[in-house]
Amino acid sequence: MSGTPFLLADSVTKRFGTNQVLTRVSLPVMERDVVCIVGPSGSGKTTLLRCFALLEAPSEGRIVMQGVPIATADPDRQVKNAARAVRSDIGMVFQHFNLWPHMSVLENLTEAPMLVKKMPKDEAVAIAEGLLKKVDLADKRDAYPARLSGGQQQRVAIARALAMSPKVLLFDEATSALDPELRREVLLVMRQLAQEGMTMLVVTHEMGFARHVGTRTVFMDRGEIVEEAPGAAFFDAPKTERAKRFLQQFEEE
Amino acid sequence: MFKYQFRWDTVWGSFDFLMGGLEMTLIISAITLVLAMAGGLIIALLDMSRFRALRWIGVSIGEVVRNTPILVQLLWVYYVLPIVFGVRIEGLVALIIGLALYQAAFISEVYRSGIQSVPKGHREAAQVLGLTPFQAFRRIVLPQAIRMTLPPLASNFVQLIKFSSLGAVISVSEITRRGMELSATNFRPLETFTFIAVVYFFICWPLAMAIRFWERRLQAR
Repeated sequence: MSGTPFLLADSVTKRFGTNQVLTRVSLPVMERDVVCIVGPSGSGKTTLLRCFALLEAPSEGRIVMQGVPIATADPDRQVKNAARAVRSDIGMVFQHFNLWPHMSVLENLTEAPMLVKKMPKDEAVAIAEGLLKKVDLADKRDAYPARLSGGQQQRVAIARALAMSPKVLLFDEATSALDPELRREVLLVMRQLAQEGMTMLVVTHEMGFARHVGTRTVFMDRGEIVEEAPGAAFFDAPKTERAKRFLQQFEEE
Repeated sequence: MFKYQFRWDTVWGSFDFLMGGLEMTLIISAITLVLAMAGGLIIALLDMSRFRALRWIGVSIGEVVRNTPILVQLLWVYYVLPIVFGVRIEGLVALIIGLALYQAAFISEVYRSGIQSVPKGHREAAQVLGLTPFQAFRRIVLPQAIRMTLPPLASNFVQLIKFSSLGAVISVSEITRRGMELSATNFRPLETFTFIAVVYFFICWPLAMAIRFWERRLQAR
């Protein structure tokens, strides 16, 4: 790794009241990296991701994008402006999809480009249709989210995030709410994005994905990064006792 | 009771008089609903304000109104406001003001729960995509909240139809008042008030059923 990281958590601590969820976590993400964050529940991985998504402000430390701070504990005007400027460069896919139920699939995809980028409607629709084809849901453009399966909803949510042409995509346990047989279709889309060179930060329990698609695996436990290794190395030779114990659970399955 | 000779003709003879009262009842209820919807919005905004003083005002209005009887409030508006401001208020105006304030306190809660029924994640999705908080509220939260508030608002209309009968005690010429006046001249309270009760029922009941159906459909989504 060399050069300025594309996205960086710089010694981020996060407290909710007296509950400390993250303790001085530092994590650089390089361009085209697919960083998979794994770890037991309650380890702080989702909170870290939400800090990157600017949904939570760090209690200490900073989030830095291409050398520019975009989130600090006490952001000044400069940081706030920087955050606003890069807001839609950071896309996020949620565990529970969070599609807007009162809008059709197509409207879910065109809403932000038209509102935020002031994109003309026909252009937004053309882009949306292209993305729906990409996630294999072109025929669902006029359906409402409630009519779709979980896997289809999540693919729409990915397409919605892509509609803003983000430079980095964050995935928060994107397949955890899905039945096993529906996970594959979502993971396939994620894998395709990784192969296309999208910079991705993936909080996941899908060890197969982390192993085969991820360029780096980060293991978190109790609010700290315990171990970090490129791609499959983490799974083949975990260095710490905690990581070994964590991985054992999956072997037993 | 068994030998009672029904004289429904005394009611039919004054049918137009009573229906004129019914018209008044519905007009009062409709005007009051519109005012209460606006008032409820103001109270809800006060309740959710960033400023403590405003929140305090909103919460106080709501608590006082919800925890005193509507009849006392009407009497208070009708008899006390004129003393305080030195102007005579007509019964009709007092009724509309009193009822609107009362309903507004409940409607503010309807708005609030409507807004809170929209999952936080929907707003976060909007935020991550770059929508401003105002855009997210207008495009994502409000349309969903409105859909949730329509049935309760309709229920409030049904309640207003019934509560407007309280206008009778401050001489507002709605259907209940006219019934009182009629029975004082025809000496037939049984026929008169039975007829009036039936009229109320056949207006309120279908509305209530329709609302129940509507709510069930919303929940099915």
